Amino acid sequence: MSEKERKSDKPESLEKNNVSESKTILNLAISVGEVLLKSGGEIYRVQETVSRILESYGIKDYHVFVITNGIFATVYEQREDAGSMVRYVTIGEVNLERVAKINQLSREIWEKKCTVQEAYERLEQCREASNGAGKRGQILACGVGSAGFCYLLGGRPYDAMMSFFLGVLLEMFLLIASKHHMSRIIMNILGSALITTGSLMLYAVGAGILSDKIIIGGIIPLVPGVALTTGIRDLFGGDYLSGSIRLIDALLTGMCIAIGVGAAIKIFQLLGGGGLPI
Amino acid sequence: MIDQIVVSMAATIAFAVLFHVPRSEYLLCGVNGAIGWMVYLFCTAHGTGGASASMWATLVLTLIARILSAVRKMPSTVFLITGIFTLVPGAGIYYTSYYLIMNDLDQCVAKGTETFKIAGAIVLGMIFGLILPQSWFNQLGKIRKCRLNLKK
Repeated sequence: MSEKERKSDKPESLEKNNVSESKTILNLAISVGEVLLKSGGEIYRVQETVSRILESYGIKDYHVFVITNGIFATVYEQREDAGSMVRYVTIGEVNLERVAKINQLSREIWEKKCTVQEAYERLEQCREASNGAGKRGQILACGVGSAGFCYLLGGRPYDAMMSFFLGVLLEMFLLIASKHHMSRIIMNILGSALITTGSLMLYAVGAGILSDKIIIGGIIPLVPGVALTTGIRDLFGGDYLSGSIRLIDALLTGMCIAIGVGAAIKIFQLLGGGGLPI
Repeated sequence: MIDQIVVSMAATIAFAVLFHVPRSEYLLCGVNGAIGWMVYLFCTAHGTGGASASMWATLVLTLIARILSAVRKMPSTVFLITGIFTLVPGAGIYYTSYYLIMNDLDQCVAKGTETFKIAGAIVLGMIFGLILPQSWFNQLGKIRKCRLNLKK
């Protein structure tokens, strides 16, 4: 869905009559659910949030069904003014601040502290919630994360420093790639290949590094920790379909990383790098 | 020892930044990650394998994440996702593909199995941590509320 369409899904008048009111509430609930699902919320959380919003605004007769990339909801199935909505949700960038904010919003709606109109405004604010640390902060954070894990998994401070630079490079690549809507599979393969190439080149130049520790530190930002965690929580909540989608996602991402690392090592070998250190 | 605590905290906070955790929770995320890593190190130092160490660490991590989420009124995912990164088998993925490329299939299978075992152990640890009913954790949030009220 493009940005233009998204803006227009906010109805112009909220106080038309009863029929449009139930639709307005349904639209609110499902839009909140959409943002939540996109930002990395678990299925049960989305389902509960949508149900709670509908209930707080007095709709008792509803059905909500949520899977990893879609939300389906109907209200007043038996009545003339029955409404139903379907949203296709692509898995977006994880944004836990949004999840926390939506959680707060849903709590306030549940406590009846928020009118529908206010809730729409709050939702809009949540959507625009800026990315806390900004792009530079993210690039820096990725470097620090890589360096940290390089050190934790047995690298020396010197290796950690090198890993920092590779981590920075990786995040820059990821930001550019996601801007150009690169497929996630390709992004993971190229990302891990980038880290491996960088580390092996440093090794070949004679920087005296433990190249394996640097690679491990560098690929950690790509590792599917989020998919694994969310997948397990979905499975635990009884959403087997969504849970398996996430776990397959985690498995696939892991394999992509392995392919990227492997391909880079192989090419390095063919170019005459010869025996590599473990 | 202290360097491990500090570094694991810094690394976890870095991931908290990457996943846009609200700023007020950065430190707690870091503490949670550090505790998870400490449990992992403690277990491996006392002779358990990587897999069961991961399981115990994830279990502790999950429980702390749930406690923190009740006390701080935050979704527990915030603490769980950032904390789990110290335990996800990134090294296993690397060594598996390395040995595959080096045509050392015995090692490759060994490392591959270990990676899957660790992933499975994380799953188990998290499931054990999620078994306790949410209402117990909600009590924690209430206790804090009572204290705040008393202070007022």
